[in-house]
Amino acid sequence: RSCFATSQWATFARSWFLIDARQQPPGKIATMCSVRLQGKHKPIYHALSDCGDHVVVINTKHIAFSGNKWEQKVYSSHTGYPGGFKQVTAAQLHQKDPKAIVKLAVYGMLPRNLARRTMMQRLHIFPDDELPEDIRANITEELQQPREIPRRLSEYTQEEIDAFPRLWTPYVYQLKATKWCT
Amino acid sequence: MKAYTYLMAKKLKLEGPSPPKPRSQQPHWDHHAEVQAFSSRLHENFSLEVLKTAFINPCYLQAEHRRRQGLAVGAEATALALEDNVQLRERGESFTRSFLTDWCRASFPVLPSDGVESVAGHLAGSEVVTYVARNLGVDDLAMSADCPVPDDVLHSTFMAVVGALLESSGPERTGLFLRDFLGPQLIGKDLFDMWTVVNPMGLLVEELTKRNVALPEPRLIRAAGASTVLPLYFVGLYSNKKLLAQGPGETLAAAEEEAARVALRILYGYTENRRPLDFSPLQQHQQPLIQSISSN
Repeated sequence: RSCFATSQWATFARSWFLIDARQQPPGKIATMCSVRLQGKHKPIYHALSDCGDHVVVINTKHIAFSGNKWEQKVYSSHTGYPGGFKQVTAAQLHQKDPKAIVKLAVYGMLPRNLARRTMMQRLHIFPDDELPEDIRANITEELQQPREIPRRLSEYTQEEIDAFPRLWTPYVYQLKATKWCT
Repeated sequence: MKAYTYLMAKKLKLEGPSPPKPRSQQPHWDHHAEVQAFSSRLHENFSLEVLKTAFINPCYLQAEHRRRQGLAVGAEATALALEDNVQLRERGESFTRSFLTDWCRASFPVLPSDGVESVAGHLAGSEVVTYVARNLGVDDLAMSADCPVPDDVLHSTFMAVVGALLESSGPERTGLFLRDFLGPQLIGKDLFDMWTVVNPMGLLVEELTKRNVALPEPRLIRAAGASTVLPLYFVGLYSNKKLLAQGPGETLAAAEEEAARVALRILYGYTENRRPLDFSPLQQHQQPLIQSISSN
């Protein structure tokens, strides 16, 4: 039945999602990636069905941790040799390899089974905007960014600044006369 | 006992399974009782002599005649007093075809005539009829030269049974019988499985020009994995900037064709979510099954 064959093809096809990580927290990016890599966004999900999709993450160089995590978050590893325990902060790791933070975050959010490595192979991370031609041709849709990027003061127009309500009148502190200030 | 079963198993392995025997030659068979049971099982009033003639195929008569001649008895003793089912089969077949065409036309008023003919032809065709006949027990009752009953013989026996019902109860009850047994075989079937359309896009363009709607414009809606070995494209057909139908496909051409087929299914009202066909029993005060259809 041709109608059944085409609808089956459409149901089980693997799609390619694009996520822009500019000024986004890497944890939220990683949850979105892991959900789609496992196939949990599909009603036909089963852990053994190999129904995950491809995810392409761009602009990982411009990732934004909240709080002081750039200095406080520590990524540890051990080379296997004595005295080989290495600990690097997130800032150092990002300096060395801009793709590593997102990659480690997604790796930690995937289920700890043999399918994890296959899912990681379907994750494509790029530090900036440039994509190879074949991946650019494959992409189905772009996902919405998890965090709304706040605007800078320089990006507001003067009319918007003037239209903003005055919440309190600022108190101007006056310097009182003392012995040393004459 | 064990030795016997071993010997029989060895014999089965050497000679293969035994050839199938018709049910009438197996024990506990009463032809008259079976024919009566057939008639009451279908909740129909058959006249039993007509029904018995309906089960007698010409190939059986020829085989019987040859067998009796081989017994080397005189010609008068070998005369068979049985009639053929050829006439009943012809009447049944013509009635089935006309009834099914009318019923399909009434159920799908928008479907064009070659579509209606294909659907009716599929329902009256060998596959569906032999499936229904085997499940109704017609192949046990049918008398034919070889066993199991071949498909064309079974088909003609079923048509002869329909002819017998036509003689016994009249066209209305026969129509209801055909609707109730062959009609449900349409459930779950797709239109273009039964009706081969070579150029769905051309047919769609014709249909839309007949209804004075703008011609369809194909647009790519979604694409996934274009440079992989498993691509998927969704193509939508827009007429006057409004979506008619969208269909998936492995290549752009296949997706466009599928979209045209989906649009045709929607136009002819043969979608999967259409109102189900009416199989309610006919009450006496209800209007006749098929209204008189005005000439197209």
